[in-house]
Amino acid sequence: MKIYFKLILLLLTISLASCEDVIDVDVQNGVSRLVIEASLDWEKGTTGSNQTIKLSKSTPYFDTTTNTGVTNASVRVVNDNDGTEFVFTHQGDGAYTTNNFIPVVGESYTLEVIHDGETYSANETLTPVVDIDAITQSVESGFNDEDLEVNIIFTDPEAEENYYLFKFQKEGDLLPTLEDGDDEFVNGNKVTWWFEKEEDDDTDEIEAFMPGDTVSIEFYGISEAFSNYMQILIEQAEGAGLFSTTPVPLKGNCINTTNADNYAFGYFRLTQVVRTSYTFQ
Amino acid sequence: MKNLVLLFMLFTAILSAQDNYTVSGIVKEASNGETAFGASVFLKGTRIGSITNEYGFFSITAPKGTYTLTVSYIGFESMGQEITLDQNQKVNFEINEESTQLDAVVVVAEETERVSLKKPEMSVSKLNIKTVKQMPVVLGEVDIIKSLQMLPGVTKNGEGTGGFHVRGGAVDQNLVLLDEAIIYNTSHMLGFFSVFNADAIKDIKLYKGGIPARFGGRTSSVLDVRQKDGNSKQLAFTGGIGLISSRLAVEGPMFKDKGSFLIAGRSSYVNLFLAAANEDNRLGFYDLNLKTNYKLNDKNKLYLSGYFGRDSFKFGKSFSSSYGNASGNLRWNHIFNDRLFSNLSLIYSKYDYDLEITDDEFDWISSIKNYNVKYDLKYYASDKFKLDFGISGIYYDFDPGQVRPTSDTSPINFLALDRKKAFEGGLYVNAEHKITDKLTAQYGLRHSSFSRLGGQSMIDYANGQPVVYNSTLGIYERGTEIGETAYKEGETIKSFGNLEPRASLAYQLNESSSVKAGYSRSAQYIHLLSNTTSVTPLDVWTASGKYIKPQLSDQYALGYFRNFNNKKYSLEVEGYYKTTDNRIDYIDGSNLIGQNNIETEVLNGEARAYGLEFLVRKNEGRFTGWVSYTLSKAEQRTLGGTAGGPGINNGDWYNSAFDRTHDISITGAYKLNDKWTFGGNMVFQTGRPVTYPNGQYEYEGQSIASFSERNSDRLPAYHRLDLSATYKPNRRPNKGWEGEWVFGIYNAYNRKNAASISFTQNEDLGINEATRTAIFTMVPSVTYNFKF
Repeated sequence: MKIYFKLILLLLTISLASCEDVIDVDVQNGVSRLVIEASLDWEKGTTGSNQTIKLSKSTPYFDTTTNTGVTNASVRVVNDNDGTEFVFTHQGDGAYTTNNFIPVVGESYTLEVIHDGETYSANETLTPVVDIDAITQSVESGFNDEDLEVNIIFTDPEAEENYYLFKFQKEGDLLPTLEDGDDEFVNGNKVTWWFEKEEDDDTDEIEAFMPGDTVSIEFYGISEAFSNYMQILIEQAEGAGLFSTTPVPLKGNCINTTNADNYAFGYFRLTQVVRTSYTFQ
Repeated sequence: MKNLVLLFMLFTAILSAQDNYTVSGIVKEASNGETAFGASVFLKGTRIGSITNEYGFFSITAPKGTYTLTVSYIGFESMGQEITLDQNQKVNFEINEESTQLDAVVVVAEETERVSLKKPEMSVSKLNIKTVKQMPVVLGEVDIIKSLQMLPGVTKNGEGTGGFHVRGGAVDQNLVLLDEAIIYNTSHMLGFFSVFNADAIKDIKLYKGGIPARFGGRTSSVLDVRQKDGNSKQLAFTGGIGLISSRLAVEGPMFKDKGSFLIAGRSSYVNLFLAAANEDNRLGFYDLNLKTNYKLNDKNKLYLSGYFGRDSFKFGKSFSSSYGNASGNLRWNHIFNDRLFSNLSLIYSKYDYDLEITDDEFDWISSIKNYNVKYDLKYYASDKFKLDFGISGIYYDFDPGQVRPTSDTSPINFLALDRKKAFEGGLYVNAEHKITDKLTAQYGLRHSSFSRLGGQSMIDYANGQPVVYNSTLGIYERGTEIGETAYKEGETIKSFGNLEPRASLAYQLNESSSVKAGYSRSAQYIHLLSNTTSVTPLDVWTASGKYIKPQLSDQYALGYFRNFNNKKYSLEVEGYYKTTDNRIDYIDGSNLIGQNNIETEVLNGEARAYGLEFLVRKNEGRFTGWVSYTLSKAEQRTLGGTAGGPGINNGDWYNSAFDRTHDISITGAYKLNDKWTFGGNMVFQTGRPVTYPNGQYEYEGQSIASFSERNSDRLPAYHRLDLSATYKPNRRPNKGWEGEWVFGIYNAYNRKNAASISFTQNEDLGINEATRTAIFTMVPSVTYNFKF
């Protein structure tokens, strides 16, 4: 629903004589924080035993350093129900892995990261996802009536509130597109979620999907708390436009139990995911 | 309360009873019969006088004697008439426009500086429509809201947004009245045009502070716009043809000279071009103003007025949207006697929008409606004492949103947010009191009440907390629902009452200068919900109730006023300090769209604003204009309160989005000869507070920005220059047709003022970049205006 409001307001703005250009802006430098990307995603149809947690440091906004991996931390995840401990070991460049993780839908897990003498901890429950009923393509749905879009069709479970995360990436694209959704307006319905590439006015390249293009699709079931987090993250990643919500410092669920002010960026999430891809005809 | 008022009247009547007589009447313009609002009527050689009210009525009481009753009014020749005051009498005036346009004045002050110096009324800007029409016209049309923004203390939240801000107040804190009907959205096409069609408007009064007790319901300002009555002498046409829109107004006598009418319409025709260009998109607006009046007899007059305006947008076959205001007002003026004037108004107004999403087969509608009854009286007790009093009631009906599937195959379920109903009552008394020859005062009291009415259920939250601070994660979260309470139709959910004292004093230091001081308290019971950088046409109003408290504001102002060089120049300096309690603020990640329980998204905060305003005007000569400068600060703070925790932005004071440290506006008009007039506006403002990133990190394969504290950065300074030229071709004396060409350039040096700066990762290069959106770069315009 929100997306329609945003689209309409965006279009209203564009419809006026607006012009856009890239400029130099001085921004403030906040403190560098630990970034915990603890995305324990259980791909449907696999054991889910191989998992990776990435640790890095935040940098100034216009900094182009990429080598920010945190290599000297200790990382473990504990199943709160039975106390099983999964130790993640450093593989280089801030990536910590395990190959014996046991994902259980509906169970709660605790993450513990110890870095520079401070302990970070987070708690989350593994959220399931329904299967995708079908994937189709069309031109008449979506925002642009002439461009191809891919449709993910699934049936929302009626019994509970559901929150979804979609990740699309066209083959050859540098960046993925994330979209979040919930069943507030579509509870229990067959839902068609469309995705099309937005035209970029700055370049003359054809951005829209063409027959033969492949797009990778990831469909996650996520918790309400993580959905709240992603909603803000996605909206803020789109830039703070005229009619965007005022941006806010975004806090995830990784708290610093040694020094609360030094909280970490990122999130400890446990999701079930359907990964697939689609090639346009 | 009523008894008190009567007693007061009786008391003042007795005081002034000895050998005093009253002269009353109506002042009208000779050419078209429009009543003159704000004309000064006085007994020459004395300090006894009166200002005509909205309906042209005046009443003067003075000791027995012979006087010259004189009327003066901006842009009109002064008129006098000998009267022998030995009995109560009626004198009506018909005043003529000044013929020498060379002396045309561009003034925003009350008529006759003499009076304005003495009047305790401060922080008021009155613009006659003739004045506004003399200001540079830059987007092809005379724009009242843009003209107001040239005054000190009035700003706009950047281009591409509607509304305006007064003395650090929010858009929803302005009470905007068109013929007394509340207008909820003042702009067309996101601020490109205002909803006020200058051809249908008579005058405009903006109260930035010292709001008289007869107005209530908003804490920041009152913009009182009055429509013309319509020409009662002859049928007349006014219009204009511009590049973007055109307009036409017809007015004339009706009911065998017992009344008159006015119909004015305006429409954009961008759509025609779009259709011609085979574009699927449509955008446009139109509006319609109607007014008619009927004089029953000398003591009774009826007025009926209406406004209807709409913006519509359509994007291909996928989306369409339209929104607009509608209002209607029936008024009955009744003159009880020479000293007691009354007006009864029945008013309806509405703002609504709809969105239709064709692809997903649903639409979304939302509206706010109100029905308003007002009865206002003015008692001219003596030349030293005048009393206003009255009563009003507003019934509100909020429909925050309905999602309706438009077909059987729609994937969307029907959903209607709870309708909210409320009643707002007001009762006031206000005195204008000339204490000594040099000291005048205006003091009054308003009692406002508000009842949130039933017919809906309200959620109950654990510990009564709709918002809870999660101290582990350090964030605010929605409270836990523990049930709900159903309220029956007509039952009161929650009620509030507030006493609002208002007072101001003027002390005349000498013939050319005075000092004034004022205090006012005001309450606001309805709130516009907006957590976006700028207010949008799709924002929804909500009512105070069980969880949301009314806003309460106190304002103190002090001013110095002076005329120079035989009133050729004038200077106004005002300082103000304003505090507002219970200003809604939004928790991080608040979701207002389709939100049934707004209380879970907001906290009650507070706001404060202070500033110093300077206005220097040149009132006469070939060159007229003014320079205004405002130095100000507007901040807000929201503590955790019942939700616990430190509050929003750690509970620190932070800049409001409408804080402007410096705001300079210069406007001028130069009359070269009878054919050519040139005009210019220059605006410079400190950039708007915004929130920029203060770091980045990698998440989900993207660079994610981390943001600073709220509004701790600023957009680059805003400045622009507008130019205009008006050409009046030679007029053949016998012809009725009068035409003029208006050429304008908005933003003449093509400054790319940032409406917003957005921070994103470049999709191709992967680097972070800042993108500026400028909405109006240079916009040229040509308009042909005509009258016949």
